Amino acid sequence: MMATGTVLLNECQKRLIIMWSYRFNFMLETFMIGFLFVGISFFVSGGRPTPEQMAPALLGYLTWFYAVFAISDMSQGIREETQTGTLEQMYMSPLPSGLLLAGRSVASLFISTGMVALVGGILMLALGIRIPVRLAGAPVFALTLAGLYGFAFFMGGATLVFKQVNALGNLLTNMLLFLNGSFLTVERMPGWLEGFARSLPSTQGIDVLRSVVLDNLSLASVWHDGSLMWLTAHTAFFLLAGWGAFLWGERVARKRGLLGQY
Amino acid sequence: MKMKAAIEIESLSKTFRSRGGNDVEAVSLLNLTVEAGQVFGFLGSNGAGKTTTIKMACGLVQPTTGTVRLNGYDVLKQRGQAMRQIGAVLEGTRNVYWRMNAWQNLLYFGRIKGISSSGLLKARAEQLLRELDLWERRKDPVGEFSRGMQQKVAIAAALIADPPIVLLDEPTLGLDVHASRTVQEWIVQLAKERGKTVVLTTHQLDMAENLCDQVAIMSHGKLLAHRPTAELLDLFRREFYQVRLRGVVDMEKNGVFPGFAASQENGHTVLSGEVGDDMSVFDLVERARTAGMDLISVSPGEPNLEEIFVELIERAEETVGQDGGLERKAGHRPAGVRSRG
Ligand SMILES: Nc1ncnc2c1ncn2[C@@H]1O[C@H](COP(=O)(O)OP(=O)(O)OP(=O)(O)O)[C@@H](O)[C@H]1O
Ligand SMILES: [Mg+2]
Repeated sequence: MMATGTVLLNECQKRLIIMWSYRFNFMLETFMIGFLFVGISFFVSGGRPTPEQMAPALLGYLTWFYAVFAISDMSQGIREETQTGTLEQMYMSPLPSGLLLAGRSVASLFISTGMVALVGGILMLALGIRIPVRLAGAPVFALTLAGLYGFAFFMGGATLVFKQVNALGNLLTNMLLFLNGSFLTVERMPGWLEGFARSLPSTQGIDVLRSVVLDNLSLASVWHDGSLMWLTAHTAFFLLAGWGAFLWGERVARKRGLLGQY
Repeated sequence: MKMKAAIEIESLSKTFRSRGGNDVEAVSLLNLTVEAGQVFGFLGSNGAGKTTTIKMACGLVQPTTGTVRLNGYDVLKQRGQAMRQIGAVLEGTRNVYWRMNAWQNLLYFGRIKGISSSGLLKARAEQLLRELDLWERRKDPVGEFSRGMQQKVAIAAALIADPPIVLLDEPTLGLDVHASRTVQEWIVQLAKERGKTVVLTTHQLDMAENLCDQVAIMSHGKLLAHRPTAELLDLFRREFYQVRLRGVVDMEKNGVFPGFAASQENGHTVLSGEVGDDMSVFDLVERARTAGMDLISVSPGEPNLEEIFVELIERAEETVGQDGGLERKAGHRPAGVRSRG
């Protein structure tokens, strides 16, 4: 529909303009994130990282990057907008709020993709890491991101009601880096931790993504071993629960007058 | 002549549950109709429930009971249509993105408000920015603007989709005299030249007196009065008197005119105050005589909205629980005064 396209473009444009106004912070952050990857790889490999070891780590790391963006956009971003009153202005739109939320997510996705391409590209070039482009990876990647966004919606709903979830968002983001299997594969974790790690968003996605992209397994084979199925179920759960949590957050916020600052 | 209703508020209540577990009844069974094309002033002390009412009209706060209709559209049941009727600038917050410039803000909010034609949107944005004298600076981030300019951008953003109803919660808060006047002139223009309905809240009662066709006074979530401004002033005019005495009279000492405010003017003492139900102007004159005061004149005073406001609020405090306020007072008036309503 016409309106949908306009809303998506509108949000992307807004995000780009605002990001551009913070460009120096952004460059610094990007540099930090790249540097962090090199640093962690260095430690994990006992000082001798090889491109072959780093490929699976980078795949996980770049996925984590999406999580950082999505979660901060939904928690910190929404919190800031309740304070500036722009969220209330958005809620006075005649368009359905679900469409605006979708617009937000697409804008965040679009911008993170740009950043990931930049950081990933530089790291791959500088460190000689090769991540092959495989079509079979696309649906797995899409499922992984969808699950992540579902989780971000969950955080968004919680932010509307409990203004203090920022700290939790940061904690979760950092926890994800260590538990999503980017650097420490989940198989090597103790059983209880593995179970917990696999229930977090993106862990399963990264696992399947590696099988498909790096180990060249077919979609059929990852479906048969159950890992893709688990990912699908997992994503569906996060999307539904996240969307539901967001709607709940909206309703409670309207009841308690929390869409704006109070 | 029966006017068209722009805003119809019916049995509207809102109870907030505070974290301490206490319930705050911010708005209590409010009934109010705002006619189209008017500047409507919503007055009341801090915490009276003005912002809560406005946010319920904007669909931002869910009422505990009651409904709000905007040009006939129910805010809860016909949200999309209802939202097309309004633009709002909310109190004490930015309302727009300070990291974007004025132009970008207007285009962004225009699209959010559902304007799909880019040509139309740009034309409107340009028109608004020119009218508000912001055109030259449209490319500067709003965060770098003065407070007055920022408020103008917020108002422009609220008007970008040309809504018939404009809600302005304390639009001149924190503005200097000049900026405040610009905003006020614009409010009048919106109503008089473009037929918009403007609802504003303010604590500047002189401004409300000048701008508003009608005022509603709220206290503790309830309506104390709702009248055309002129009528409200009229209603009180006969009760306010100004007594002029020769020389400087110490009012503290003699207590002849309880409740009257005294001031000095060219060596005269000027007293102004209300003649209560139990006293007539003649009593006033008589008292001055017996007290040996040198009376120059007694004349009906010009009450201003501020005095009426204070009076009504005080009266409401006295009669908590009863149906106090204006209606009680109006009952004592000569019939001629009320019949204008
Ligand atoms: N989101 C909220 N949660 C709890 N209580 C609230 C909330 N919003 C308003 N209140 C309470 O409701 C009452 C009415 O507040 P409101 O902001 O509507 O008053 P107001 O007339 O706009 O006052 P002011 O002139 O100070 O702006 C106050 O007691 C306030 O503390
Ligand atoms: Mg208020």
